[in-house]
Amino acid sequence: MEKVNFRTQVLTGHLQNHRHATTTIYPSPCVSYVPPEISEQPFSFDVSSMRKLMDGHNLGDRDWLFNLMVQSKLFNPRLRGGKVFVVPDYNHSMEQQREITMKRIEYLLDHGAFEGWLTGKGPEAEMKKFALLEVIEIFDHSLAIKIGVHFFLWGGAIQFFGTKRHHDKWLRATENYLIKGCFAMTELGHGSNVRGIETTATYEANTGEFVINTPCESAQKYWIGGAANHATHTVVFSQLNVDGNNQGVHAFITQIRDENGNICPNIRIADCGHKIGLNGVDNGRIWFDNVRIPRENLLNSVADVSTDGKYLSAIKDPDQRFAAFLAPLTSGRVTIAVSAVYSAKISLAIAIRYSLTRRAFSITANGPELLLLDYPSHQRRLLPLLAKTYAMSFASNYLKLLYIKRSPQLIKTIHVVSSAFKATLTWHNMRTLQECREACGGQGLKTENRIGQMKGEYDVQSTFEGDNNVLMQQVSKALLAEYVAAKKRNKPFKELGLEHMNRSCPVIPAQLASSTLRSTQFQNDIFCLRERDLLNRFAAEVSQYQAHGESKESAFVVSYQVAEDLGKAFSDRAILQSAIEAENNVKDASLKNILALLRSMYVLVTLEEDAAFLRYGYLSTDNAAAVRKEVAKLCSEIRPQALALVSSFGIPDAFLSPIAFDWVAANSWSTVQN
Amino acid sequence: MASSFGETDQVLVEEKSSTRIFTLNRPKQLNAASFTMVSRLLELFLACEEDPSVKLIILKGKGRAFCAGGDVAAVVRDITQGHWKLGANFFRREFILNYVMATFSKPQVSILNGIVMGGGAGVSIHGRFRVATENSLFAMPETALGLFPDVGASYFLSRLPGFFGEYVGLIGARLDGAEMLACGLATHFVLSEKLSLLEDALCKADSSDPAVISATISEFSLAPSLKEKSACHRLNIINKCFSRRTIEEIILALEREAADKEDEWISSTIQSLKKASPTSLKISLRSIREGRLQGVGKCLVREYRMVCNVMQGETSKDFFEGCRAILVDKDKNPKWEPSKLEQVTEDMVDRYFSKINDKDWEDLNLPRRLNIPPHAIAKL
Repeated sequence: MEKVNFRTQVLTGHLQNHRHATTTIYPSPCVSYVPPEISEQPFSFDVSSMRKLMDGHNLGDRDWLFNLMVQSKLFNPRLRGGKVFVVPDYNHSMEQQREITMKRIEYLLDHGAFEGWLTGKGPEAEMKKFALLEVIEIFDHSLAIKIGVHFFLWGGAIQFFGTKRHHDKWLRATENYLIKGCFAMTELGHGSNVRGIETTATYEANTGEFVINTPCESAQKYWIGGAANHATHTVVFSQLNVDGNNQGVHAFITQIRDENGNICPNIRIADCGHKIGLNGVDNGRIWFDNVRIPRENLLNSVADVSTDGKYLSAIKDPDQRFAAFLAPLTSGRVTIAVSAVYSAKISLAIAIRYSLTRRAFSITANGPELLLLDYPSHQRRLLPLLAKTYAMSFASNYLKLLYIKRSPQLIKTIHVVSSAFKATLTWHNMRTLQECREACGGQGLKTENRIGQMKGEYDVQSTFEGDNNVLMQQVSKALLAEYVAAKKRNKPFKELGLEHMNRSCPVIPAQLASSTLRSTQFQNDIFCLRERDLLNRFAAEVSQYQAHGESKESAFVVSYQVAEDLGKAFSDRAILQSAIEAENNVKDASLKNILALLRSMYVLVTLEEDAAFLRYGYLSTDNAAAVRKEVAKLCSEIRPQALALVSSFGIPDAFLSPIAFDWVAANSWSTVQN
Repeated sequence: MASSFGETDQVLVEEKSSTRIFTLNRPKQLNAASFTMVSRLLELFLACEEDPSVKLIILKGKGRAFCAGGDVAAVVRDITQGHWKLGANFFRREFILNYVMATFSKPQVSILNGIVMGGGAGVSIHGRFRVATENSLFAMPETALGLFPDVGASYFLSRLPGFFGEYVGLIGARLDGAEMLACGLATHFVLSEKLSLLEDALCKADSSDPAVISATISEFSLAPSLKEKSACHRLNIINKCFSRRTIEEIILALEREAADKEDEWISSTIQSLKKASPTSLKISLRSIREGRLQGVGKCLVREYRMVCNVMQGETSKDFFEGCRAILVDKDKNPKWEPSKLEQVTEDMVDRYFSKINDKDWEDLNLPRRLNIPPHAIAKL
């Protein structure tokens, strides 16, 4: 009986906490759901303005595409707790997922979603394409990847590696899905090291044809999205042999299926099988058995072979030729980095909304149970990730703009920034997904609640379009090259954001007060200090190894520890700068205030988490303690704005999940009966 | 809960056991919702929510209309004689009423036995049960008036099947009771001769349980058949055309359909679009598209911003022109400005969705609603 009384008191506590109305006509469930919109304080800033800032562009186009998906049965709308959610049915078999993914593409095609994706010209068309792809990703990663392979990889290869004759023949046909393209670069034996692939293309002057061949099992094309079921054409990357000379990797158009979907002669295709995610994408393996293709199928923007078998290229240096060749593929890294941020936004919106409605344990005798997000520990788990996601959202916007205004002068910067951001943002996403999954407890395990499933769906992001670790090493190498060049010529740094190296070394105050910790000046200084010092250290270490007779390459290999720290330092500093820039461009004071809080949180939590600051002494142990204290303080200051902050992500309710809303109604017995 | 006196007899109040029956009482004006009527309804609804003896509200209209809309003529008069902010007062009160109804803790049954337009839809569709009859005539005619479908229409129109909401909202299409039921604007269809029996049964049911009320109404309901020419038979073509990104593309898609075959319905649909205010069409489409992704509260806040911008008239004065041509001079020949769709730029459309630049102006401040029933929680 005592227990019953206690329970009654607890329940009364809950009710008094939220319900002032005199009548309750609906039976009050034991634990009631109170919408955060009602229990939380009114927003201190305008969420639609914040959304505009975060999404950055093409808001009307985004909303339109959300509308198209929400209103179609193909997107698996399900009613939960009175709301409609659209989420793929991940309980479908691999075959069913592939089939429905293709149907969704056809629906989007019929409704004009892809108009101008390849035939449109100029920055506006490109930004619109990015925006729509982001919306598609918010629904399902498989759908976005399948579309991305067709338009960005196959279509991009035609656009960038091909010349007019290829554009005329393929771009419109691709945009209308008259043909379905795929992109055969990776092999069983070679992934990130594209230059090592083993497939060959040999020119035969007497027939005017290339002969594409898979010489050994490790040369089979692997993970080719679209190849297993649907693709009719592929761009195949091969070592070009002309007249007995290997001219390095080149790209060729090859048909692999006829219009009826039958595999072409001398092509063998096998399935990559069931994966931990992305099962809506039909990844396949391809073997080429001396497949003959006309000379015109060489994508010849960088190099060509004449009818009589002469190799022609304006770029003599094979290294440069290869770099020029692959440069346009950065668009893949750009879209991956951006989509990683949207994935993090989805999981944070769900986990934070849930934490504003779910309670656990009371901390006072007979008191109501506490909301999850009112635990400082829960705040510490989610709010720093929220702040990082904001900073990285601005970083991804910066990256998109950088890519859009690409020019030969910007190739290096784009390569370095896109590599760094792709790695950093996708790692951040995976970490965020795991934390959010755990923060939702058991509910995070249900695929209808998205987060757990997304871990499998997005894991591949750290691998495709360049392994994250490899990319980060390339960042460090590029920084070192810049360093060596500047020192050798005794000229100031003027690229890759290294201009701060020209100024005197920043000094960090011996004691860090709260106001200092939150100042842009200090935050900038400490990030620049770290990058500067690590670059000096990396250069010193590499040159020391070289002085002992090691080659440059092996010196890099053994200096991996500093290289890794340096890559991070570059990436964090570049992210901070884009966040500061976004903040500076905002006029509205209420937005500025919250952005400043988030920026401080982003920097301070990075200081707290990255051991480099203590390892190399940029922070004293006392200051590290001050940072830690400030992070906790920032958590409590951001807490009241958490709902507004996730509401600003621009992700419609239907694309979140039942636990983000009335999870009691969504799980009630009546929903079982229906 | 005093019944009628003075001005308040714009709404008649009957108490029958635990049921309150509110009758909109301006039959000569087709029960057009005036400031007084809207205020009175709000007061009555809030009082019923507090009163534990009330279990159910029935809302109906006196005469041949349920409610023909907001009293726009009066609003325009206020604005032209005074200031647009007088108009804002009306819309603020009206939208708050819409919000209270959408989140109301007790069931509301609206008897739509006649004209239901604009503001009339706002005081009924948000409620739990909407009973259509053979006399029902529904429309959101705002785009022909230089306005846009307001009163939370961006919420409820966007939730109709496919892109039917765009069709209804942009064209100002007229729907009969059978069509209202088919598309979900109505929850039941009852012949008008059965209405008084239905009312008695509801009072007798003495219940707040939605299942009981639904079952009670169902006893009097029948399944009407759609007329042959109903737009509900045109869902395929509506989805195909009205799903397009912009008004221009919607018209183009319709014209392509028209080129394929001679079809009176398509050509009259195109005609309606061409007659409507270009500015209204563009802001209406965007409002519905945003509304489909937002809760009812956010929809009303946005619509309030929009309506204030419309009344302020800085981008276009079509609202005043529309009222002149349709309601005052009745020449039915409004001169829209801008007159062409292509003259209405993205920037101009954007302005309607922005805050009013006036330090005294505030966004719609929705009342904090406690004790919201589960089905309404989903609308937030």
